[in-house]
Amino acid sequence: MHKAVIIGGSAGSFRVITRILNALPKHFPIPILLNLHRLKHVRSGFVEALSIKSNLPVVEPYDKESIKPGIAYLAPSNYHMYIELNKKIALSTEEAVNHSRPSIDLSFETAAHTYHRNLLGIILSGANKDGAWGLKKIKEAGGTVIVQDPADCEVTTMTQTALKMTEADHVFNAQQIIDYLLKIK
Amino acid sequence: MGKYEIGIVDTRNILKAIKESYDLDFKNHALTFFKRRLEYILGKYKLKSADALIGKIQNDKEFFEVFLKEVCIETTELFRDPSLWRYLMEKFLPEVLKGSGTYKIWFPEVSSGEELYSLAILLKEMGLLDRVQFVVGSISQMRLDDVKQGKLDVKKMEVNHANFKRIFSEAELEGYYSVEKETGYIHPDLIKNMDVALQNTYYDKHPRSVKLLMWRNQMLYFNQILQERLLKSFCHTIVPGGHLIVGMNEKIDYWNSGKDYILVGEKENIYKKRFS
Repeated sequence: MHKAVIIGGSAGSFRVITRILNALPKHFPIPILLNLHRLKHVRSGFVEALSIKSNLPVVEPYDKESIKPGIAYLAPSNYHMYIELNKKIALSTEEAVNHSRPSIDLSFETAAHTYHRNLLGIILSGANKDGAWGLKKIKEAGGTVIVQDPADCEVTTMTQTALKMTEADHVFNAQQIIDYLLKIK
Repeated sequence: MGKYEIGIVDTRNILKAIKESYDLDFKNHALTFFKRRLEYILGKYKLKSADALIGKIQNDKEFFEVFLKEVCIETTELFRDPSLWRYLMEKFLPEVLKGSGTYKIWFPEVSSGEELYSLAILLKEMGLLDRVQFVVGSISQMRLDDVKQGKLDVKKMEVNHANFKRIFSEAELEGYYSVEKETGYIHPDLIKNMDVALQNTYYDKHPRSVKLLMWRNQMLYFNQILQERLLKSFCHTIVPGGHLIVGMNEKIDYWNSGKDYILVGEKENIYKKRFS
């Protein structure tokens, strides 16, 4: 039933993401959309760092690139990443939202519009509120939402804000998130 | 967030109103982008509905100027992607400015000016600014007026300074701008060799003999029809061997089937127009 998974995180999420990418098989059946806050002037290196332990390709998409299963798309630094209805990615340099560009909220909201109940949204460790509103939108559109257990997070602002705004389907630690993803057919 | 939502039908009605009132055609802007931008404008100017916006557009010319300014997405900061500017300084510009004669650089959509100012500062640091003629356009007269005065958003100065330092560890950005009444102005000498031209949404007022066309992160907001049209028309304007620079995450390959442009700076997305 899941046709795409979208994951947001900031401070403290890098290790969790690498664990997830390391655990997933090469031919993961659905696309993975990643929106992780990072230093914006650091353009290269991040994809490479994520790729080292990943079994599936990690790419920074081009504007209007088609979304395909088995690929992890990382929101490029200093761009917003929107998920369009025609299952393509659109990038933009519009205003930062909650001091964030890329904004997790915007990626989540547009992915919710596109995938509705077939979307799995996951929010990980992070130091600001970005993503909480977007996670609510995923839930409202009928999607499934997972929040990393704040007890398992290095920084809890993001997950705690998300839990305040939305009733999560699951509150999982990193290993439980991986186990859940591995069951996706 | 998400307070002002309009539908696709509303969006099309607004497009129609703009076309009828001002003969400006936004139908080949990316539809979801344009819808989102309209929602942003509705929120910012506290308009209650798409109809309220249509009324404002039809009856308030001054508001429409503001509207056009909002549709031109800002170029975000000085020296966005520092590695590009380092490459331009160390490799690209010394090579293309080897000869004599004026080197014409066109910014079809100058927007908030940061790309222009960055290049001007870079050339000044290199001692090559006098060799260059800038031509800048915009669909917004307000944007052009701001750029003519060298206006610079002071809210972005922290990131501007940080980017500058990543390129010029020895120099200071301070000498290149001043602040009056909370508005930044870049030094007028930087843009004294500059012509400006108001454009329509097809950017079809072309200068002659362009040697470098700066077009970063502009195609993001257009659909494929407009992207293709622009890339083809720009090709007639750039001199053979001249260059086109697009954004880091933009691809022109789809519309480059005739191989009008050859990728020469792969990491930095610099294309060269073929000689034949």
